[in-house]
Amino acid sequence: MSTHEYDAVVVGGGVSGIIACLKLNSRGFKTALISRGDPACCLSTGCIDVFSRTDSPLDGIRGLPPEHPYSLVGRKGVADALSYFLTVMDEAGLPYEGSPRKNRRILTPIGNQKTTCLVPKTMADADVPGSEHLQVISFKGLKDFYPSYITSRFRNSAFSVYDAGVATTLGIAALFDRAAFVDSFIDWLKRLEIPHDRVAIPAVLGMNDPAGVLEKVSRAIGKKVFEIPTLPPSIPGLRLFRALKRVLQNRGAHLYWGKGVASVESQGKRIEAVTLATTGRSARVQGRAFILATGSFVSGGLFASRDCVRETVFGLPVFVPGERKDWFNTDFFSDGHAIERSGIRVDRTFRPEDCRFENLFVCGSILAGCEIMRNQCGHGLAVATGTAAAGRCAEELS
Amino acid sequence: MIKTDVVIIGGGATGCGIARDLALRGVRHYLVEKGDFANGATGACHGLLHSGARYAVTDPEAAKECISENAILRMIARKCVETTGGLFVRLPGDSKRYRDTFLKNCEDAGISTEVLSASRALDLVPGLNPAIEEAVVVPDCSIDPFRLCMLNAFTSRHKGGGILTHHKVIDIIKERGRCAGVKVLDRFTSQIKEIRAKIIINATGAWGDTLARMSGSEAPMTLSKGSLIVSNHRLTNMVINRLRPPSDGDIIVPNEAVCLAGTTSIVVDDPDAAEVDPREVDLVATQAEQMIPAFGSTRLIRAYTGVRPLLKAEASDSRSISRGFRIIDHKNGMFSILGGKLSTYRLMAEKTVDAVMAEFGIKTRCKTAETPLDGQDELSGYPLSKRLKNMNDIVCECELVSRDQVENAINSLGIQYIGDIQHRTRLGMGPCQGGFCTYRALGIMQETGRLSPDESIQILKEFLQRRFRGIRPALWGDQLREEQLVESIYLGILNMGHAQ
Repeated sequence: MSTHEYDAVVVGGGVSGIIACLKLNSRGFKTALISRGDPACCLSTGCIDVFSRTDSPLDGIRGLPPEHPYSLVGRKGVADALSYFLTVMDEAGLPYEGSPRKNRRILTPIGNQKTTCLVPKTMADADVPGSEHLQVISFKGLKDFYPSYITSRFRNSAFSVYDAGVATTLGIAALFDRAAFVDSFIDWLKRLEIPHDRVAIPAVLGMNDPAGVLEKVSRAIGKKVFEIPTLPPSIPGLRLFRALKRVLQNRGAHLYWGKGVASVESQGKRIEAVTLATTGRSARVQGRAFILATGSFVSGGLFASRDCVRETVFGLPVFVPGERKDWFNTDFFSDGHAIERSGIRVDRTFRPEDCRFENLFVCGSILAGCEIMRNQCGHGLAVATGTAAAGRCAEELS
Repeated sequence: MIKTDVVIIGGGATGCGIARDLALRGVRHYLVEKGDFANGATGACHGLLHSGARYAVTDPEAAKECISENAILRMIARKCVETTGGLFVRLPGDSKRYRDTFLKNCEDAGISTEVLSASRALDLVPGLNPAIEEAVVVPDCSIDPFRLCMLNAFTSRHKGGGILTHHKVIDIIKERGRCAGVKVLDRFTSQIKEIRAKIIINATGAWGDTLARMSGSEAPMTLSKGSLIVSNHRLTNMVINRLRPPSDGDIIVPNEAVCLAGTTSIVVDDPDAAEVDPREVDLVATQAEQMIPAFGSTRLIRAYTGVRPLLKAEASDSRSISRGFRIIDHKNGMFSILGGKLSTYRLMAEKTVDAVMAEFGIKTRCKTAETPLDGQDELSGYPLSKRLKNMNDIVCECELVSRDQVENAINSLGIQYIGDIQHRTRLGMGPCQGGFCTYRALGIMQETGRLSPDESIQILKEFLQRRFRGIRPALWGDQLREEQLVESIYLGILNMGHAQ
């Protein structure tokens, strides 16, 4: 078994884990990131929801209970983390827009609007006033996109269908990475002679440089153009993940991808190392500090059995609201189910409560009390707590 | 206004069986059903074609009926029945004396049995608990209740009978104290239709008393809910029963790619309000786990409950054919068929129609026992070989349902309801329980002009709510992960939550 030594080891390759890893790396610590695979972020809209229940996320989080992770980070911390995120995305070549002082809206595939905060450049013009005329473009055979849902909500709108020869978002996005395809798509668009003010396209405008493709299309037809995020697998979600991972690789952090943690070594109050589950020679990853960012149920950081919930890497104590019969309301559409509050409770230093380890920090959706669905705060919470946990971890290391 | 001879209310196995029986005897009839076929207990049972062994000790009459109907249905409904065979397994601690009585009573009822050693039983069903003492082979089968209803209705339709699903009876028309017909509400068009008939047959199962009361009579019953769970895997190819007196959670039935385990028995008042309690899920899962240990670790995809329309114990009626079911002549032009079970639906239909024919004063022989169900090749189910032919445009990835199949259901069958598409194609029956494909199927219905975009969204909301009712009692493990993903799609990406 080979041993690799680091200052900090992050377990979990989603938004919070990668942000935490970047932060530690930028402060000069030798860091590694372990991930079982591509994160749940790939299934998301790619937008950064910070807190969608009020016009201003920064004002809104003031009203959250003191145990909410945002309250632990503090408003300034949240604002700083989000501006850091914007810088990172510029560096990654996937620029985002927006400010935590004001929410904005994007269009959904069923034609209603969704409140979010920071959006990729390709969705900057997605807040369409009801009075405006809208042209929706769809692609032949795309099974998760039915443009009539959208056109029925706008008085003067129409849709046209382009036959790209493939029928999946991933397949079409790959075509948009080729200049020749973009040109022929533009020729087709021009021939439509669209009379409308704006053009909406499902989010398939390439993996590599969507903002560039969008600008080219927009300039060629002289209209505002924007993307609509679609159901999983989501291209904007994949772009976000790949961009973050790319920055991490460029900065020289060490990635153990596709590997889970098989066992944990600890001594007294400290975690010493984790051993990776690999098919070949197993590796022992040693660290002076560890960050847990494995996500909630969907990502596998938490796992519920019939009568309890466990944390899957370190076996940390998990806060669970009530018994199983209380976990979910009877109404699917209700404003947040109790199970959403389950997770790891942490103190102000993002160390888990009721836990003997002093060199372990926790961030992201595995944190107790975040209520992501109710607050619509997923990626914002990941960015803010990833940054905060990395900050506390850095203090521990120095 | 429609004029006919007999109106059957209820599109479960019994109602559809009565329609077919009438059709084969050349009697004009209409069947009305408030939902789709198999809307009540028929669609919410095990899908077990009893050998009768389950009743051999407690109810020998019912056992005899079962084994005789079992043989008939294997012959006439080949495409609905999977001849899995069944095992009664005896676990350590289960009474050996009960086993002896069981074997003797099976023999008396004409049910063939074969006692197997534990190791031979494990050869047949490797997933069995290796600690079993022994097992008894019986001719249990798995049956598809929905297809059974469809096929019975198929014969009726082809012989001129009228079948109106999604038509709810809102009134019984009475003339000179007798039932003269029904008023039904077409749930799709909201139109009210009048159907005039000489006889009304009340085959509404758990809703029997409600209907009887509409005619000014009553049909006392005891309603008992039975809850079942569905595993994501087919853990056994044979029906597995516990060799002990009938009790909660003693049956596991393989069905297509899944297994159903049940049941419980809890008396309820209102069949429309019956829901699964998470404790019932725990109870059934724990019991099933004792017979097939993998039930404990396998992902459950949902739970459901059906309401059994049981006969009131104290009432004894001269027309009572067995302890299993009873036909009531309300002496006002209405007949009610009460009690019974899926396995004996054909016999129940036969006896009901016999009673109606006696009322009409006509003598015709029942032909349903020797005539195979029509349409079995057209509606031959969901074989994988058919599904793999068109893999280009899959709408439901779990059950491999293509866009063509969905469009065909919409266009040629004239389907208006998403549930009807699901029943006929298996769309949405897999592990995600329609989390992805229902949105797509509704998109297609909307594109074909069947629904407006607003209607389509409204139906999607109702579907998600209904789906959640089935999933909620069994939410843990991987199904909980899936559920949170589905939530993030509808409440996150599509922003369909209440706040919206």
